[in-house]
Amino acid sequence: MKIPRLTTLASIAVLVVLALFPVIGIPLNWLNYLFSFFIILALANMWNLLAGYTGLICLCPHAFIGLAGYTMAIGTWVGVPFQVGLIAGAAVAALFALLISYPVFRMRGIYFAIGTLILPEALKAWFNFWRPVGNEYQGMGAGYSVTGVAGVTLGDTYWLSLAIAAVSVFLVYIILRSRLGLGLTAIRDNENTAASSGVNIFRLKLSSFLIAAFIMGIAGAVWYVYSPRINPTGGFSISWLLLPLMATVIGGEGSKEGPIIGAAIVTFLRFLLADYGAWSLLIQGIILIVVVVVMPRGIAGLLRQVGAYRFPLRLLQAAEGKIHKNLK
Amino acid sequence: MPVPVLCDTIQRSRKVTKLDTAVLSVDRVNKRFGGIVAVKDMTFEVQAGEVVGLMGPNGAGKTTLLNLIAGVYHPDSGRVIFQGKDITRCAPHKICHLGIARTYQIPQPFTNLLVRDNLRVAATYGSKKGDTFELDEILDLVDLSKQKGTIAGDLATVSLKRLELARALATNPTLILLDEVAAGSTEAEIPRILDITRQVRKMGKTIILVEHVMKVMVEAVDRIVVMDKGEKIAEGTPGEVMEDEKVLAAYFG
Repeated sequence: MKIPRLTTLASIAVLVVLALFPVIGIPLNWLNYLFSFFIILALANMWNLLAGYTGLICLCPHAFIGLAGYTMAIGTWVGVPFQVGLIAGAAVAALFALLISYPVFRMRGIYFAIGTLILPEALKAWFNFWRPVGNEYQGMGAGYSVTGVAGVTLGDTYWLSLAIAAVSVFLVYIILRSRLGLGLTAIRDNENTAASSGVNIFRLKLSSFLIAAFIMGIAGAVWYVYSPRINPTGGFSISWLLLPLMATVIGGEGSKEGPIIGAAIVTFLRFLLADYGAWSLLIQGIILIVVVVVMPRGIAGLLRQVGAYRFPLRLLQAAEGKIHKNLK
Repeated sequence: MPVPVLCDTIQRSRKVTKLDTAVLSVDRVNKRFGGIVAVKDMTFEVQAGEVVGLMGPNGAGKTTLLNLIAGVYHPDSGRVIFQGKDITRCAPHKICHLGIARTYQIPQPFTNLLVRDNLRVAATYGSKKGDTFELDEILDLVDLSKQKGTIAGDLATVSLKRLELARALATNPTLILLDEVAAGSTEAEIPRILDITRQVRKMGKTIILVEHVMKVMVEAVDRIVVMDKGEKIAEGTPGEVMEDEKVLAAYFG
């Protein structure tokens, strides 16, 4: 199924239109919604890379996000500009992933999941006490405000989030077409067979873990440029895990379009249910359960099952054919 | 260099180039799981181009032995030497890179990948750089050409067994460990399996075959190693082994 240039053109067009939004002056609320959507999309894409393509049910995105956010926040206190802090934060998240990789990769399946779930809790406790710069307990808990971002407009953070979301989509696309992607899906399907077929399981898992940690870290740090205040409860909050998890599972784990669909739904729900407090969690939970029971492969899986892609694809192919003919 | 005794089986095989070194030698290997001794003081050699059968009652330790060779388990003591290299403590993927491939008794495919991609994984990661061979030829050999676009999870058991073999071949191995390729096949399918085994042999591969189907065992192999309760109880040509008292005792009590 080779659908070439028209889809490429379409995605570039979408990207350009999205990038123009702040310039053409659409309502600020829209930018807020889209910003959330892009951050959740980047996180969901990376979570999908781990859970959907590598078979690693990683329950510690909040460790990466919190660490990256803290790195950037503390950086701005010692004079590091936040732009550098974004990269530094992502690097610290990736370094953390590297450090924990050996012990957590010794566990498989559900044990891996539980093993990773503990890590952000430990970090949360640590950051409650550890305060490298600034006065004791200034403000709330061991929190930091991100300084030096006063001049950053909503448009700027919007562009950052758009860039990181686009990179995450593109990255997954590239990985799946590469040798790495083939090996990752093999590991997901059967670790033993993959090993006896010559796949270096540890190295491949580590690659995907590091990539995910880096992108999740940068996405999290961008969030803390947008909302420039971080504390242990917020930075290492479990909602940083639930957002990408819900988006991926609802959208469809192990499919490229799943996280996009899921992230849109999760963002929509977040704003729709914003006024209902605890009820929103309950409603989201019910939706998650219904999706898991009714369509285990998510919305993307359902769409594929009913053949919803067939007609648009054929239409696209026909259009391609016509264009090619006219060009000749 | 000591010149080994040339048994007639080696002379029969034409692909043999090196006669003075064994491709694989298993040297006094022991493995226990808790209190159970799975493999005890196992020693045997496999020459290049040879097809060696591994036989024994259920629980004799045949599959464990294959796992020890393939690096899934590491022996408690003893050594496994492959082409002069000590591979006793190597990881499974390293052993695959060195040139040992294995199939699983219960097929273990990459369930969600296409048949073709199952082989691509093995060819991409398992074979050495510069190896040139056609995956289509392997698919033809095991009669899976028509199903190459099928998702492996949708294949029938017989096809899955063939896929195991194809995947092992796709790593372009020197030595191939076949764990019960014929198990679960009907009488009518066995000649075809024998045929495939012969073709694999013609490709110059050395084979260790674990099998319960006697017809396959007797017709495909040069030499049989019989195990019982983790120990080697007999070794020789199929004819010799079948008349061995210990073997008869192990099977018929």
